Amino acid sequence: MPDFSILTEYFDVYLEGFLNTIYASVLALLGSFALGTVLAVFRISSVKPLQWLGTVYVEFIRNIPLLLVVYLFYLSLPTIGITLNGFVSGTIGLTVYTAAFIAEAIRAGILSVSKGQSEAALSSGLTYVQTMRYVVLPQAIKIVIPPLSNQFINLVKNSSVLSVIAGLDLMYFGDRVASKTYATFDTYIFIAVFYLALTLPLSYAALRLERRLAKQG
Amino acid sequence: MISFRQVEKHFGDFHVLKAINLQIERGEVVVVVGPSGSGKSTLLRCINRLETVTSGELVVSGHQVNDKKTDINKLRRDIGMVFQHFNLYPHRKVIDNITLAPMKVLGLTRQEAEQTAMSYLEKVGIADKAGQYPSQLSGGQQQRVAIARGLAMKPQVMLFDEPTSALDPEMVGEVLDVMKALAKEGMTMVVVTHEMGFAREVADRVVFMDQGRIVEEAAPGEFFTSPREERARLFLNRVLNH
Repeated sequence: MPDFSILTEYFDVYLEGFLNTIYASVLALLGSFALGTVLAVFRISSVKPLQWLGTVYVEFIRNIPLLLVVYLFYLSLPTIGITLNGFVSGTIGLTVYTAAFIAEAIRAGILSVSKGQSEAALSSGLTYVQTMRYVVLPQAIKIVIPPLSNQFINLVKNSSVLSVIAGLDLMYFGDRVASKTYATFDTYIFIAVFYLALTLPLSYAALRLERRLAKQG
Repeated sequence: MISFRQVEKHFGDFHVLKAINLQIERGEVVVVVGPSGSGKSTLLRCINRLETVTSGELVVSGHQVNDKKTDINKLRRDIGMVFQHFNLYPHRKVIDNITLAPMKVLGLTRQEAEQTAMSYLEKVGIADKAGQYPSQLSGGQQQRVAIARGLAMKPQVMLFDEPTSALDPEMVGEVLDVMKALAKEGMTMVVVTHEMGFAREVADRVVFMDQGRIVEEAAPGEFFTSPREERARLFLNRVLNH
């Protein structure tokens, strides 16, 4: 039985970390979704430089560790005169990193929409961007929801990387409480519960959404 | 209105279109027939640049289709297309399938676009399906929606790429009837099909293709009763006597 006095005594600390983790996750989620969609469209476009840009981004970012990406923003940017705090650089790093995975998921989704769909749209005079926006992406999204929700759950968990660079997230405050109380087991069990409070509803919501979209046909 | 001059098309090593010369006038109904793999669909798809030609000249409504300066999106507005597999947008209701391009391309308001859409749905005989999703319709109904979708842009020419090939036999008639009515109204049509009855009855001209070439071009009466070319004769023997 974990020691609940740790939770009650340090509740404010836990809560601040929890809220910051939510904040960082939501920002990174929105950012990486937008960036990932743009990158996916770049990768499948017929414009060679865009294709190339998308491919280089995805292959570079997804093949290096998340911590390294975060360090690029936290430790490397100051050398060229840009200093960001742990929270900001951590959130940006998380966004940049997750976008690479989201781009791949969305690209696969777009490619699974039959070519006839974009041919019908283009032949009616819609531009490439309109074709994507109104015809291809709305269909791709349905296919992409399961892999996307996986990425979003990973994102929430990966946000713990902020703790390494003083990002004031849940894990960061967990470390602080643990080093103060020495009750590492009890402290981290509560941290786990806080993470589950975010990720389990996310899984459930994804499942619901998937079912609803499947019904629409 | 549409003019091919010495058009060649390669898919890698595969020479799909060979020295195509073809003129299609406004108001004409041209039916393209021939064995599968003869390049009929490719020929059709070059007209709105779903395929690019390798060399030669292709002019549609006075515009060079493959000139970089030609605004292809603008040209495509005036060219309606109907596909073998309908290609309706499954996530949009029938009415929203039809209003999309008029609203986004021509800038019509939703109300104007819906009014036009309904008038064309009535024309193809399925106004009652406006609020349904494509998957709730039969193949024949879906293809009629696709025709209405093409017409809603008020195009100068309609292209049909084997519009009845994916349909159950009992639904072929309803689609052909819509196409016949359209032809009677004077719409310029280029139709790739295996429906010889349609070709005979509706076409102003039949174009027979084989192995990437236009082998014969003739009025349907002439083509079906006394084809000049041996290959056309063989083809007709196979498709008419089965």
